[in-house]
Amino acid sequence: MPVGEGKFKLYAKLPPPLEAGLWRLRADQHFEAQTPETELDEHDLHVDQENVHLRIRSPRYLLPPDQILSTYPPANSFGSYGSRLPQVVIKRRTLPWERRLVGAPAKTPWFALVLIAEGEAKLETSVDVENCVTADVELEDPEELKEVAKGNCLVAKKSLIDRVFPTRRDVDLLVHAREVDIHDTELMMGDDDGFLAVVISNRLPLPGKDAEGNDAPVKYLACLINLEGQYDVLLPRSPDPAPAFATEFLAKTVLVQAQAAQDDHLIMETALGPARAGTNPADLGELTNPVPLAAGSQGSHTTRYQSGAAAGAGAKPYAGSGQWSAAALARNTSAQVALQMAESFRIVHDYGATPFDKEYRFPVLLHWSFTTTGDTTFRSLMTNLDSRLLGDVGDPKPLSGRLPLEVVESGHVGLAHQTREGDRVRAWYRGPLVPHPTKNTGADRLKLAHSSDQLRVVIPDGREDLSLATAFETGRLLTLSQPSIIAALMRWRQTDYHAARLHSFLVSNRNFWEELLGIGFEKIDLHKIGPLAGRFLADAIVRNPERFLGNPRPRVTPGRPLEFDGQATVLLARGLGLEPALFTGDLNKVFNGLRDVQIPRDDLVAADLGRIDVREALESDLDRQRIDLVSNALSNKLLNDNLTGPAFPVTNRLRVDLVDDTLDVILGDSIRPGSTDEDGS
Amino acid sequence: MINKNIDVLEHLGLEFEKAARAPFTEFRHDDNTAMPAELRNWLVRLRLLEGVPFANLVADSELLPQESIRWFYLDRRWSDALVQGALSVGTVNSDDRIQLDAQYTAIRAELDTEERNVRRRKGVARLTGQPGPLTGFLLRSAAVSGWPGLHVRAFNVDPEEGDDARFTEDDPRRIRLLRLERLAPAVLLCLFDGIPKVVHIEEPRQGIQFGFMHQDNGNQRSASLRPRDKSSFEYLAGDGSKDVDVPFRVGSSGVVDIRRLSDALAAHPETGASDGLDSAEYALQLIRFPWRQVFGEVQVPPISAMFRATIEYESMVNATFKL
Repeated sequence: MPVGEGKFKLYAKLPPPLEAGLWRLRADQHFEAQTPETELDEHDLHVDQENVHLRIRSPRYLLPPDQILSTYPPANSFGSYGSRLPQVVIKRRTLPWERRLVGAPAKTPWFALVLIAEGEAKLETSVDVENCVTADVELEDPEELKEVAKGNCLVAKKSLIDRVFPTRRDVDLLVHAREVDIHDTELMMGDDDGFLAVVISNRLPLPGKDAEGNDAPVKYLACLINLEGQYDVLLPRSPDPAPAFATEFLAKTVLVQAQAAQDDHLIMETALGPARAGTNPADLGELTNPVPLAAGSQGSHTTRYQSGAAAGAGAKPYAGSGQWSAAALARNTSAQVALQMAESFRIVHDYGATPFDKEYRFPVLLHWSFTTTGDTTFRSLMTNLDSRLLGDVGDPKPLSGRLPLEVVESGHVGLAHQTREGDRVRAWYRGPLVPHPTKNTGADRLKLAHSSDQLRVVIPDGREDLSLATAFETGRLLTLSQPSIIAALMRWRQTDYHAARLHSFLVSNRNFWEELLGIGFEKIDLHKIGPLAGRFLADAIVRNPERFLGNPRPRVTPGRPLEFDGQATVLLARGLGLEPALFTGDLNKVFNGLRDVQIPRDDLVAADLGRIDVREALESDLDRQRIDLVSNALSNKLLNDNLTGPAFPVTNRLRVDLVDDTLDVILGDSIRPGSTDEDGS
Repeated sequence: MINKNIDVLEHLGLEFEKAARAPFTEFRHDDNTAMPAELRNWLVRLRLLEGVPFANLVADSELLPQESIRWFYLDRRWSDALVQGALSVGTVNSDDRIQLDAQYTAIRAELDTEERNVRRRKGVARLTGQPGPLTGFLLRSAAVSGWPGLHVRAFNVDPEEGDDARFTEDDPRRIRLLRLERLAPAVLLCLFDGIPKVVHIEEPRQGIQFGFMHQDNGNQRSASLRPRDKSSFEYLAGDGSKDVDVPFRVGSSGVVDIRRLSDALAAHPETGASDGLDSAEYALQLIRFPWRQVFGEVQVPPISAMFRATIEYESMVNATFKL
């Protein structure tokens, strides 16, 4: 059931059915069959046991970057986060429960988010994954294929772990799963199902206080650490001095001293001081991109330490700021940002170190840093926004040597314009986003222009208004940059020409097409007219065949008139379908030849002639045809003998067309029926 | 085969009449209509200013200062000109232009409705009708870069139920979003299908925060938690009489003693902590609501306060015509 918009559900755990590791799937099948005759038991129908070995893999040293939905506080940001617990939201909801923690209750999350203030612990980057864990700790299933060759690890002393890390009991409480509605969000965030896993830290990122008691910014590093094999390092429960209901701000002075001591080397250019920004370009890829082991083994990357004097460009001071730049979105740059964020945590001075304070190493799946300072929150940002209509230039600024922006009441802005002649003038421009409603309906819509120059406007003050011309040209250039759209335009125009011709043809014969296709035929898809017309015709023929079809062809016809254009014997032979040679020679030879000749005969016809109904039908047709022929001949004879000549001009003319006319017409017209011999053969 | 019982002529006529009344209302993404589907989808995106260089939207950086929100109307003449420029790519000779002239009205009408359907949710009826005014805002703030995935909602009425009211996306009181996109890491562009009365911008819910109410006292900070009912999510006591002080681990700055916090919560059985706190219950107690910024004036300010031109129309006319 989906959660409603604006709601979400919390789940204490969403463990996967199987944890990461080696699994064996064993399948046994038992068959028995019983029929009246036989009875087969298991042994007769034996099926071997099926053993399948499965390895379920899950990240161990590096959280895949695409699994991170968000971090809070935002990475590399400044803000007042002192009353909010840092957290990371992971897309795969089962991830926190995909590994088993030895010594912990079942279904305990295998990682925790710890928050380290600057100087408290050390983050080592680009370490071989074997060295990411404390030396004497062996992870379960050590042979498991590692997803990266090199990872990051957090080096923390036991005293710090006791102070800052969550206790064993806390680990479980700090991870939960959440289901949210994904709809009215910026679509590009795109989590697929709305199920998320959330890891909360147990520590508030308090700002610091300097010696005078003023707020001082403190940089924090949030690390998602893998607890596998080291669960028992954590305190079993919170330490026992009675709880304090207030907590101290970080004493910033200590940190500043530590920092200053480090910087001295740089300031005095003593060669042995480690350079701060040891950003080794070779480190960059591996931090964000999992590298297969084979590729990673070809060389070792270590953090490079440079001497202060020789550092040159390598020793830049930390340059992070609250600003984002578009370039930070590029993958390599974001890796650089990650390194940069880790950078102040890589070299840590052991101040206040206690002897015999054991160091532990934890693999870091994800780390980011931020600075707690001031009071910038989402709320303070939003409530202090300068909310006005577009076009307002904001409050007056101190003079900066730049001419004040020309904005007129219509929202147009004065911009420098170089004309085609090369003159440098000023023009008015207004983008699509305007401070006033514009006339956008009916006749006020822009008429179609075919070139941008049609949209240039000169206004009375002598300047040009280039807004619409710019829009036209922008649209044109954007489209020209898309070959597929140009192709679509061209295809469309070709087919449309065809359609337009067809349409004008239809409209010019409107009455006919309306009768055929109905009112509104112009609206039909022109491609469909052909089939529609054909279907209509077929239907009309079926309903009124006599309007479309003539009389059926007579079964018996007199045949074609013979053309006497050659020898009589040749003609005769051709007419009968015989060899002309048959008719040469004396009469006896011809007679004998004809007697022996094979008469070509159509088998089908011969077979059909055996049927009495066919024979009768043909016979009656033959009779009628014979009567027709004889009557025609007779009537010709009669006309010739009695009704032609100068005294009968009408029949004289009729006689010429006689062959094409029927007997009834001729007889009905001129001769009494009784005078013909209808029984003659 | 043809059904002889239907008068084909009449039937076809009816079909065509129906087609004439409602041309191309229901079609799939890749169906050709007044123009090929590929072209239509491209022009609709252009209409919503996708791909248009930012300098063409905002001509000068002074028009969008840092930490500002700028509201606007969309000038359809401008977006029409943009589409005309795109269409002009296919016209070479005067024949082509006559052809385009004849087609243009249909193209524009279709884009008018199509641009409203770009972000239509699956299963919601296609929106039709006359195109209304489009509006929107540009937000340039660290809030855009720091809190990706802001929620934006717009309403055409001031919801009577108050700012907390929730409406489904197809509720007639909601104004639909046509576009919501980050143009730069810190610049958010939003287009509305109408003129909203009230706009809510809310902290992303995926990034709901967990924390406490804090109070500073010299070098110390104390925090308290207002317990919530596990089933209704309401505060047990809105006046703070049941607030729980947050215990911190001694000797370490800011580390919350969760065990003792859960013991303290167990004193209020409604929180669900008395039978052992689980992680969901713990998170529930810690949730801080996402901040929702409501834009919408009770009293409409004069236009002169919202948009201050640097050159007044009057002075410009005087200068031009030497009055």
